[in-house]
Amino acid sequence: MKYRILAVFMVLIAAGSLWAHHSTTAVFDMGKKIQVTGTLNRVEWINPHISIYVDAKGEHGVDAWHFEGSPPAWFRRVGVNKNDIARFQGQMITVDGVRAKDGTLYGYLQKITFADGSSLETVSAGQIPEK
Amino acid sequence: MNLRFFCALLAGLLLVGLVAAQQPAKMKRTADGHPDLSGIWAYAVDLPSGGIKRVSNGEVTVKQADLSNRRAPKGEVKGALPFTTAPAYKPEFQAKVKDLIDHESKTDPVFYCGRPGVPRIGSPRKIVQLPNEIIFFYEDMSGDTYRVIPTDGRPHRADANPGAYGDSVGHWEGDTLVVDVTNFDDNTWFGENGYFHTDAMHVTERLWLDANNNLAWQAIVDDPKVLAQPWTITPRVVKPSNEPLEESARCVEDDGHRLQNNDHHGQR
Repeated sequence: MKYRILAVFMVLIAAGSLWAHHSTTAVFDMGKKIQVTGTLNRVEWINPHISIYVDAKGEHGVDAWHFEGSPPAWFRRVGVNKNDIARFQGQMITVDGVRAKDGTLYGYLQKITFADGSSLETVSAGQIPEK
Repeated sequence: MNLRFFCALLAGLLLVGLVAAQQPAKMKRTADGHPDLSGIWAYAVDLPSGGIKRVSNGEVTVKQADLSNRRAPKGEVKGALPFTTAPAYKPEFQAKVKDLIDHESKTDPVFYCGRPGVPRIGSPRKIVQLPNEIIFFYEDMSGDTYRVIPTDGRPHRADANPGAYGDSVGHWEGDTLVVDVTNFDDNTWFGENGYFHTDAMHVTERLWLDANNNLAWQAIVDDPKVLAQPWTITPRVVKPSNEPLEESARCVEDDGHRLQNNDHHGQR
């Protein structure tokens, strides 16, 4: 189920709008799913994409991962504000996403799971029951 | 009261209710008799579809953004001018437009936190209508701009510097506010798909209230240096909103150097 959600999300993040400044496929390898567990270092509530920085244990020390997500205006309208994520700063989190094609420690955010078991996950319109 | 009388009474009440429900809402007007466009209007910038699934304390909730205000209205918009889906450029500029759109992810100013300008910014998020001027407020990731539009009959400023939002003056044509906008710089596109313009661009915006007191907005773009004829764009209709305006987060573009190809998609 989790992976089905991730798969259909590809359609979602390719949706067009003023906020977006490229197709996600221009930057990210949509088939290269990654899961990173580490310490939430910093959250930046910026346009055109929010940014989340995660320090994870790597082969040669700390891997400093950077994930971008949807724009702040979108998060506002789906009921998520900066503090919903930033209040976990300094704690362990797990991020699911896709990795940048350039091979850097850069990814597109799809799901965050916090240490207390709570999570935020982007889902496509097709997965949302009609009222 | 016999049954026949009761049924007739009930049918009559239902009929009255039905007729009342079909009556347009009474138009809001200011003391000077013009339609009152004041108020907060729905956020009409396109956003991703879908939503957020939140799991907290074992409870699962899903919330989706309301995008209905960004979509083209279904059916005819009463009061709108005939429109086309794309502008007509002079033949010698059509190759340039194609090249810009083919490389939009690198050439579109708004992809890099640039101002959308008028008319691309669309309908205002908030309007304050005063007797001699009307003020538009916007939320945009490039910065939350405003426009102060005199409606007292004065001409355009002669000494204003050109900009993305130009210099505006307004007047009423019946129940439609008509805003004349000039004095643009040439740093913006007036729409997606590489719609560049020159400093000769002239925009006319039309705003009115529809039968349900929604805000209707439409613009006409002319640029005699590059367009073969003026372009009337698709009208938009936005609903009143209770959502307060909020300062847009600063814009820091960080993907341009990561682009691996020219993939892009439509936006406004």
